[in-house]
This record gives sequence, structure tokens and C-alpha cells, in this order.
Amino acid sequence: MTKGERGKTSLTPWKKTRKPEAFPGVRSLNGKWGYLYVAPFIFMFVVFGLAPVLYSVYISFFHWDPLGSSNFVGLRNFNNLLHDSDFWLSIRNTFSIWGLSTFPQMFMAIGLANILRNTRLRGKSFFRTILLVPNITSVIAITIVFSQLFGRDFGIINDILSWAGLGHHIDFIEGVIPSHVQIATMITWRWIGYNTLIFLASMLAIPNELYESASVDGATKRQQFRFVTLPQLKNTITFVLIVGTIGGLQVFAEPQQLAADGGSSKQFLTLTLFLYNQAFVNNKYGYAAAIGIMITFIVLIISTVNFFISRKISNDGTR
Amino acid sequence: MAVASIAAAVIGLGAFSAPAKAADPVTITIWTFGDVIQRNLVAEYKALHPEVTLQIKKSDLDPLDGTNMVTACTSKTGPDIVATEVSYSGYWRSYPKCFTDLRTMKTTGEPTANIAAGLSASDIKANYLPWRWAQGVAFDGSVIGIPTDVGGLEVAYRTDLFKKAGLPTERGAVAKLWPTWDKFIATGQKYNAKLSAANKKAGMGFIDNAGTIYAAIMNQGTAKYYANDGTENGKLIYDTNPQVKLAWNTTIKATQAGIGTRIGQYTSDWNIGMNKGTFATILAPAWMMDYIKAQAPDTAGKWDIADMPGGGGNQGGTQLGIPSYAQNKQAAYDFLTWYLAPAQELKVFKTYGLFPAASVLYKDPALTGYTDPFFNNAPVGKIYAEGVQTLKPIFEGKLQRAIDTAIGAGLGRVAAKKMTAEKSWAQVLSDLKKVVNN
Repeated sequence: MTKGERGKTSLTPWKKTRKPEAFPGVRSLNGKWGYLYVAPFIFMFVVFGLAPVLYSVYISFFHWDPLGSSNFVGLRNFNNLLHDSDFWLSIRNTFSIWGLSTFPQMFMAIGLANILRNTRLRGKSFFRTILLVPNITSVIAITIVFSQLFGRDFGIINDILSWAGLGHHIDFIEGVIPSHVQIATMITWRWIGYNTLIFLASMLAIPNELYESASVDGATKRQQFRFVTLPQLKNTITFVLIVGTIGGLQVFAEPQQLAADGGSSKQFLTLTLFLYNQAFVNNKYGYAAAIGIMITFIVLIISTVNFFISRKISNDGTR
Repeated sequence: MAVASIAAAVIGLGAFSAPAKAADPVTITIWTFGDVIQRNLVAEYKALHPEVTLQIKKSDLDPLDGTNMVTACTSKTGPDIVATEVSYSGYWRSYPKCFTDLRTMKTTGEPTANIAAGLSASDIKANYLPWRWAQGVAFDGSVIGIPTDVGGLEVAYRTDLFKKAGLPTERGAVAKLWPTWDKFIATGQKYNAKLSAANKKAGMGFIDNAGTIYAAIMNQGTAKYYANDGTENGKLIYDTNPQVKLAWNTTIKATQAGIGTRIGQYTSDWNIGMNKGTFATILAPAWMMDYIKAQAPDTAGKWDIADMPGGGGNQGGTQLGIPSYAQNKQAAYDFLTWYLAPAQELKVFKTYGLFPAASVLYKDPALTGYTDPFFNNAPVGKIYAEGVQTLKPIFEGKLQRAIDTAIGAGLGRVAAKKMTAEKSWAQVLSDLKKVVNN
């Protein structure tokens, strides 16, 4: 492929004598215009993105008091952090909540998308629209409503569970797994519509011929879903997973609204809530900055893993 | 003495520039939370001073007194007036540079409201409850806040439920049931013993949350987590102070006696339980009375207020201060001294239940004679006034809020039966080590 292209360009050597110009009238400026156009973004990024990041790297080496005096402590914040059981606990909680929210949600979203794809479904655009309503609802409002649903003594979910004989007065705040389930439910509620639409869009992009030839071969609806739809969704699943992972590492508002300290035994203290509490409750800004840097490393590791997995998947797809 | 002369010099300057400012239109920005700044009083002030515009920004307490104030002081900006809750006063008294020393300010005077000209914070100090005033004084002696209210803490109880359990219902007799905390716990057990099996299964109990006993006992002492050793920070004594151990042990005892319903305060379960009579008592600061009225209007007249076990009590309270980077300090100070004058604090108490910190009112029949029909016509003014006067000043330390949170979590673990009391206390100590050291 590349060889042919190279051959083609060599057929028109005169075109190489002059660079193509974006703005023929302002020849002298040429490529410099590009910098001008990206300047506003670069400026904002440096001021509000890069500078704070570098600054937090800097203060992570300090015992930092914004109002009083700060002193350099070297790597002590990081050393303390690695020996802080709360840090490991918050990693466990974050990943547990991430797992409980990502995977069930993905199955449900694919299922919902499959229903919405049905051409005989009435009021399609209505359903597609209301799916996004939870996504634009304030997290605080969602948390208030859900914590009432999940109330231990008067919550409707406990009423249903005890009516079905599945449990009695389950404490969805004090229990480790129950509290994770509660938070994961809120996240699922908020993001399922969004993910459904993503899956729906990529389902609608699957060429109809594939289904036709499958049905000619005698595939049932279920087999069509298993052998045509799902393989075609591979890239979308990877995308949803990556976005879900990034979101999952940032879970903050839901646990914070349930109990600002992350529960009596920190059973739903997430990484970001841990960071926030160290900075703004305990006033340990240097320590919090160190947590932020550790979160960055965790994201880096996960992104690398994601990168290799998605590369493998897309290679499989072209084969 | 040098401080005094500097203060006098600044007062002189203040008096000189004040009259010119009074007539110019001025906007005072106020950062506050909850019901600290009352709409009707703001309207009243506007009528007195048409040239003043009050811009009020409400936030939640923790972001307001934590993040927002730290950011404001660090970036040398900020509002003209900020409301600080007492749980944060220990923190801010360590940073007097963030606040204007109100001893250096001087009133312009407000003849219609009977406020003389030229009053500094030192001049109005005598109007307020001494230990409550001290919570607004920084370690270097500068006055960084004037109290709007004092929490107070008394026992709100349901007369109908007490009657059903065969307990006395008259508030004097009820108070005699629990001269001490041990007697309070014993009364709770007696109450629970009378509950039917069905009611017990439905989670009913004597007090809403036994964990609230901890803060009540802590405030009855003379020291919390810090001892005043004459330095800015004070000495940390959370692991040796007998008051901490007493409060912890009593709370554990109450928890294990099962007198509480384990419902968390300010949850939806709490609001519902208040209506359903799930619990018969709440340790209620004065400002909570308004909350109960709003959440459980149908229980009107069924409540009453009795004295706390072990004497008085306190929980919460707020003060107003002027950040050092405020733009309109004089106008802010004039508003603040008017708003916090005894006459206005009395109005706030009658309409919203915030109990006045202005102790000159405690002998005023307008306060002592005030009864509340929602609470079975209890003389709430008199009861809370007597309660708060028995308390002593406590040295507030910088990390008080964080230490309170860690101990509260420890009590929660025991209440949820996740840990034994001993194990949970050991965990509290290791958590606190991290709070103090890391």
C-alpha cells in the first residue's frame, strides 16, 4: 500500500518545489498561524491544567500548610502513604465499587440497546431521550433519593427484600458489600442511559447484510446476537470499559454524600474521597498531593493495560 | 500595652473615616450557612440603611469553614462577613491573620436600634456569655468572631410515649429521673422493657442515637483534646484526658444497653422516626427545635424539654467575623454589631430557635418567660439559659473537628457491632496518630 503511494508522488516532482499553503495571502507567516490558533487552549491548559499538576507534585514533598509555615519532608509523604492502611483500603473500595458498577451496567446497557434497536418498537425517540435524564440529574439529588430507598429501617428496598424473604433490615451503609452495592447502583442509574446510547449507535452501524446472511444460514435471533452483534461491539465495549474505569477511579460525590468520612470503618472510602478528606478535613495538603500522584500512577498502569487489550482486540477484528 | 496604643490609633482612624462612608451606597458580602442570617432581619436592616445592599451566599458548613475560607485567606480575597461554626473555631483561632481583630473596629452608631457610636468588640463583650465569647478569641487575644448563638443542649422527649411506658411526663419530674448519665441509661432500659415485642422488632428505642451522648458529655468538661499550655497549638491530650474516656465509656455503655435506635441524625430514617415515635428522646440543641417542628409538624404538643443529665449542655453555635481581606470592613462591622445586638438575637430565637449568646438576655423576662406550644408550652428560654450557664470555657484546638470525626467513627463501629469497644478504641488511637503525625 505504502509502496504504491510513494510511486505516485514521484510522478509529480514539480509539486514538491513549493510547500502547500493554508493561507496563500499570508505566505510569510505560513505554519506560524497554527500556533496562534492553539494559543488560547495552550494558555488555558497551562494555567488551569499543567501548572496545578506541577504544583501538586511540588507540594507533595512538603508538610504543607497554606496558611502557616511549610517544611520540606522529602519522600516522607509517600512513605507514610504506602504504610497507611487507609490507602490500601480505599484502593480496595474503589475497585470493588468499580467492578460492581461497570460489569452489571454493561450487560444491562447492551440488553437495553438491543431492545431499543427493534424496528417495531413504538416511541423509540421518547425512550432514547428519557434514558439520558438520570445522566443530567445532579449527583446530590440522586444520592438523597437513593439513600432513602436504601434506608435500613424505612427504606423501600429493605421492605421489598424482607417481603421476598431475602433479608431483614440490611444496613446499606454499615455493611461493606451492601454499601458498595448502594453506591454502585447510583452510578449505574446515572450512566446506564449514556452507555445504552453508545451501544445502540454502534449496533445501528452494523451492516444489515450480516444479519441477512446469518438468517439465511439459519441463525436464530439469539444466535444472531451472540455471533453477529456481540463481536461487532468489541471496540465499543473497550471504549465503554476505558471510560468506565476512568470514571470509576473518580467516584467521589456518592460516597461523600452517604457519609463524609467514608463510613465508620471507612468501608466506602474511595481514593478521591480519601484525597479530599486528607486535604480539606485534616488539612494535610502535602499528603493529599502525594495521594493524587499515586492515583495518577494507578491510572497510568490501568491505561497501559487497557491500551494493550484494546490493541489486541482491534488486531483480532482485522484478521 | 503597645498593642493597646496601636489599637487606639486604629480606632481613631476608624472613627475618622466612618461618617463619610455611611452615606455612600455599599455592598456587604456575607458567606454563611443554614439559618444563621435571617431574611426578615436583613429586610429590617435595609429599612434602617437604604444605602446598604447585603449580598448573601449560602454554602454547606464544611466547604464554607474549611476549603472556601482557606482559599480566601490564601489568595488574600474574601467576603466582608463570614459565619464560623464552633467546630471550626479551634482551627481558625490558630490563624488570626485571616481575620480582622474586632477590638480595633468601632461602631458608627445606630440611634434607632440604641447602639452607641464608638463601640469596639471589647466594649460589647460584657453582653455575651463568657465561655461562648472565648470561642471567638484567637490564641493571641484578638477577637475574630462575635457569637450569633449558643447551641445549648437539653433533652427533648415525647410526653405521650413516656406516659405509655409508665414514666412521669411533667418536665421537673422527668429531669429528676436522670440526675446522672447512668440514671439516664437506666431510664432508657426501663422504657425499652415496656416496649411490645412488635415495637422492638420495628426498631423502636428510647433515644434516637446513643452516639450523641458522647459530644454531650465532652462539652460538660473543662478540656477536650487539647490542654492550654500557653502556646498557640496547645498540648494534645486526647489519649490521656479522663473526660474523653468518660464520654467514650458512657456512650459505649448506653449503646450496649441498647437504649438507642441506631438511626443516624439528619437521615431520612431519622425524619420518619420522629413522626412515627420510633424514639422518645433526642438530645436537642436549641437550633434543632425548629428542625423538629419542620420535620414532624403532626407531633405538635407531644414534645417537651427537660434538663440534661449531669447539668448543662452545648452543641454547636456560630459566630460572625470579618476576614482580614474584606473590602467594606466598617459597613460590615456596623451590620454585625446591629445584627448580633441582644435585641436582634432575641428576635432570631423567637422565630428560628437559635438560642442567643447574648447572656444579658438570660435574666430578661422576654426570654425567660418565652414558652413554646410545640413543646407543650415548655419555658424553653429559661431551660436553655440555665443549661448553658453551667458550662465552663474549653480550650479549642486546631484538629478538633478531625479528632471528633475519628472518635465518632469509632463509636459507630461499636454501635454497628463491627468491633468490640476495646478494638475500636485501639483503632481510634491509630487513626488519630495518622491525623496528628502524617
